[in-house]
Amino acid sequence: MLGRGVKRKWSCLEEAEVVSEAAEDKQQHEDEDGQDGLLDPSRSDMSRLQQRQLVLGLCLEKLQRYQAGVELSLRRSVLLINTLRQIQEEMRSDGVGSCDVHPDSCLLRDDFREDVTVTCPGCSEGESPPELPSQEANGSDQQKPPAAVSDAVNAMGYLGDLALDDIFEDIDTSMYETSDLPSAWASGSLWPLSVSLWPDEDVKLRPQSHSTAGSLQSCLMDLNELDHIMEILVKS
Amino acid sequence: MKIIIATKKKKDGVLKCVCNIWWTFLCVKGYTDVYSKLCLSTSINESLSLCQYMADIISTVEFNHTGELLATGDKGGRVVIFQQEPESKNQPQCRGEYNVYSTFQSHEPEFDYLKSLEIEEKINKIRWLPQKNAAQFLLSTNDKTIKLWKISERDKRPEGYNLKEEDGRYRDPNTVTTLRVPIFRPMDLMVEASPRRVFANAHTYHINSIAVNSDYETYLSADDLRINLWHLEITDRSFNIVDIKPANMEELTEVITAAEFHPNQCNTFVYSSSKGTIRMCDMRASALCDKHAKMFEEPEDPNNRSFFSEIISSISDVKFSHSGRYMMTRDYLSVKIWDLNMETRPVETYQVHEYLRSKLCSLYENDCIFDKFECCWNGNDSVVMTGSYNNFFRMFDRGYRQDVTLEASRENSKPRSVLKPRKVSTGGKRKKDEISVDSLDFNKKILHTAWHPLDNIIAVATTNNLYIFQEKLN
Repeated sequence: MLGRGVKRKWSCLEEAEVVSEAAEDKQQHEDEDGQDGLLDPSRSDMSRLQQRQLVLGLCLEKLQRYQAGVELSLRRSVLLINTLRQIQEEMRSDGVGSCDVHPDSCLLRDDFREDVTVTCPGCSEGESPPELPSQEANGSDQQKPPAAVSDAVNAMGYLGDLALDDIFEDIDTSMYETSDLPSAWASGSLWPLSVSLWPDEDVKLRPQSHSTAGSLQSCLMDLNELDHIMEILVKS
Repeated sequence: MKIIIATKKKKDGVLKCVCNIWWTFLCVKGYTDVYSKLCLSTSINESLSLCQYMADIISTVEFNHTGELLATGDKGGRVVIFQQEPESKNQPQCRGEYNVYSTFQSHEPEFDYLKSLEIEEKINKIRWLPQKNAAQFLLSTNDKTIKLWKISERDKRPEGYNLKEEDGRYRDPNTVTTLRVPIFRPMDLMVEASPRRVFANAHTYHINSIAVNSDYETYLSADDLRINLWHLEITDRSFNIVDIKPANMEELTEVITAAEFHPNQCNTFVYSSSKGTIRMCDMRASALCDKHAKMFEEPEDPNNRSFFSEIISSISDVKFSHSGRYMMTRDYLSVKIWDLNMETRPVETYQVHEYLRSKLCSLYENDCIFDKFECCWNGNDSVVMTGSYNNFFRMFDRGYRQDVTLEASRENSKPRSVLKPRKVSTGGKRKKDEISVDSLDFNKKILHTAWHPLDNIIAVATTNNLYIFQEKLN
């Protein structure tokens, strides 16, 4: 459980960085050469598995990219999420056994992610792309590994039965609901206990587990964001 | 360089294949072209503030129904309208240039206090209404609000008031000894734009399309999940006719990307999705058109399946042909023509830049794969046009099955210079004058193009400039 005022870490970026750091280095190198707008030729040479790893990391990175105060495109977010889901399905069907953790056991345990990695067997068997590091248990301020996203989505119905309501029922979250996927992502709504990918503007219709996310959003609201808002209000 | 191909004579006159047409540069409009003229004619204060505007990204281009006017919208919320000069008697073969007719600030940036989000003033779409009287009307929209603008000319002004001096100061009534009737005197032409209607607060998500109905009384606006039907006279309510928002947002996998009314049947409209489907709806069937009358979808080629299949199948534009018999869709790599009577597959498919298929991973990385290209028909539906990268744009002649790639650039833009067809080399060996895929500039993209409804005049928008080309007449 995250206490008030504790800054959530962008640890999700770490895994994405590991995957795409090779890509970024190359990109930087190219940028330094003044070749903006040109394609990275190394991308065409990758094997399917390498490409899958890269795309997976990029998916996460792009979904995490959130500019305070600017609403991101829903179309883009939907396409990214669908791509992510597709990759997860493929990885699952490829037999990434360690990712198939029963929602019951994994989602309530703080340390469930120790065993879960998102590298497929093909990649870990000596191929070059870097492994996504297994998540260290860090309480509830961790971003989930990709495999657990669909676990979480599947478990949504399951989670609806959990008695989380008691803890959060007195917190009014209606002010903080947005129709924005990215803001939900950035505020950490994709963590084990709340799985709203698409916070709804119709607060009343949402199941209680979603308002859980809302209240956590409000708790986790970055001080910088508040400053930004105050700035704008004062200016206008 | 002219490509000589045997031309077929058609019953209604000689039609040339688009590859035979010599496209010549007519004019280009950039920031300085537009705003330097304004600086000359306005006061010092105004011209200073105008010059402070950064050169802005063009976000939409649209000819009016006669082609005399060409409207552009930009990221700064401004609309600039160009007017074609009448043909000069000296050069009857050369159509007139397009010059600035009117410019106005259509939308301002707003702040949604509830969600703590900025609402961009960028103009997403402009649609002209057919002209009914001396004034012109157009609809312009940003992400949230649609406005109806009236553009009218004033070339006379009343003079000779009894109670006012010519400069507007009020006269002391005691000094009035005689009465006179004010009369209208000619003045320099002034073009005024005024907002006549503001259609607001009807969209939770970002508006991507507006389309005027053939009844010229109603229009639709589409955002990511909903489509609303408006009456042009009524601003405080609209009818929701399509709603694809799932009860549980977790289940959202598809969004609306574009919508358009049929050009003749006022009860029919289509909307396209991010999954590459187009749904046609009949408003007579029910109030809420969630059940489509027809769904157009081409089965995916299993050989081309990749992680990016869905993203590149997302339709970025849909346009009916003028005849109403066909519709065209643009996805990332191709343009497809659909016969409205056949839902299973398109009747024609044109590859815009197939050489990018092997580069999709890089294009995903630099976000270019999310670019939304538009497409357009020519006046008689024989040619379709769309943009690409490196400031290239492509035309496909449906009758002759020919296509041509042209480039919009300042270097090729001397008055009446002829555009040279371009070619991208895909194989190992690059011929002279060809450009290799790896040398293409993906920051130079042509997303918006428009074709004059009656003539072979085209408007092509690069990031900051509007190029107008016409057919060379000899």
